Amino acid sequence: MIVGKNIHKSFGDLEVLKGVDLHVKPQEVVVLVGVSGSGKSTLLRCFNFLEMINSGEITIDGHTINPKKEDLAKIRAEVGMVFQHFNLFPHKTVLENVIEAPVTVKKMKKEEAKKLGMNLLRKVGLEDKADVYPSKLSGGQKQRVAIARSLAMEPKVMLFDEPTSALDPELVGEVLQVMKQLAEEGMTMVVVTHEMKFAKEVADRIIMIDQGTIIESADPKNFFENPQNERTKQFIQLVE
Amino acid sequence: MPDLFIDVYDVFMRTYPGFLEATVVTLQLTAIGVILGTLIGLIFALMKISGSKILRGIANLYITVIRGTPLIVQIMFLYFGIVEIYTMSNFWAGAIALGVHNGAYIAEIFRGAIQGVDPGQREASLSLGMNRKQTMQRIVFPQALRRSIPPLGNQFIITLKDSSLVYIIGVAEIFSLANREAAQSYQPFESFLVVALYYLVLVMIFTFLLRLYENKLDVDKA
Repeated sequence: MIVGKNIHKSFGDLEVLKGVDLHVKPQEVVVLVGVSGSGKSTLLRCFNFLEMINSGEITIDGHTINPKKEDLAKIRAEVGMVFQHFNLFPHKTVLENVIEAPVTVKKMKKEEAKKLGMNLLRKVGLEDKADVYPSKLSGGQKQRVAIARSLAMEPKVMLFDEPTSALDPELVGEVLQVMKQLAEEGMTMVVVTHEMKFAKEVADRIIMIDQGTIIESADPKNFFENPQNERTKQFIQLVE
Repeated sequence: MPDLFIDVYDVFMRTYPGFLEATVVTLQLTAIGVILGTLIGLIFALMKISGSKILRGIANLYITVIRGTPLIVQIMFLYFGIVEIYTMSNFWAGAIALGVHNGAYIAEIFRGAIQGVDPGQREASLSLGMNRKQTMQRIVFPQALRRSIPPLGNQFIITLKDSSLVYIIGVAEIFSLANREAAQSYQPFESFLVVALYYLVLVMIFTFLLRLYENKLDVDKA
């Protein structure tokens, strides 16, 4: 579904990604882990072209993308992204947040979009909040709205960039629950997270990124019980 | 002390019909200065955040020159520079000078407000497949506009008071009338006290309306 080949990315003199290869199959849930600064979030942002890669190749759904020649908006519409800080639009109600892109980008009729929006809000358990502004929501509710907003564009793959890192501990569960449900429905997902319990339960594959390269890629059982790389062993000890 | 009150009262009673007319002129000057300034400010703010070096350079030059010179000089410059060449009333020369002057300050207000919107807003919008133009129009600008309302209100009040400088080219606004009254009646103290009160009341009304509007925005979106 998403293939990255030999991805290099630098910020000035700092090389953040040093030739990363990643192949995410349809309906696969891949969890990216690593210490902060390892490049895992940058990799995610490259897949959505919020960062432009310096060299390498990104293929989405069989289509290799040349960011200079193509309409990035069209590509981004197919790749959903959920941010650490939610980034809901504060000047729009919850429902308006969800239907903004379908109406503006897909030119969907407002009535139709509202129906879709309410269905998605029901899915994340927030249909009763449709008409309130984001400032009235808890962090967990905000993130669930952000997920619904992304889903409204019917993306082929969803990227999650530390979706629970900004949440109070008691609110983490409700967001992970929604993500788990999405995974069960067959959504292709790439998730950067520190929630190891989620990784163990939901991931098909866990990938460890260290200093801009992939150093371990295994199913959860092998990743935690039989890690090959020394740094992965250290990391697992640290988080468990 | 009671004498002063009686004198002020006398000046007030003698001048208020004329002052009412002059107040209309002051409000017209302010309105044109604000509207023109907002249009100019919007254009130059967009130039300043644009990708084009030339547009940014022009905007920077404009803002630097206008902020670096006194309003009274700008009024005189426009009056002698343009009224002499094109036939234009003193009133319009003054109003345009106020607009051009305001434009530089309002451009900076808008620029700051646009750049002050959380970059995450732009990223979220782009990630949903909205293009740059849609992102600006639907996500960034509405939020920037809300942020710019308090400093804009402040700028409007400054404009109201700055409009008094237009008296120098003979526009019959409030201050010029007070000036004339002071000269004719030999009561400068009372005359200027009355005009000060006029400005104060106008500014207070303006501030009150502005606060109502800001509160309404807060209630809507809180």
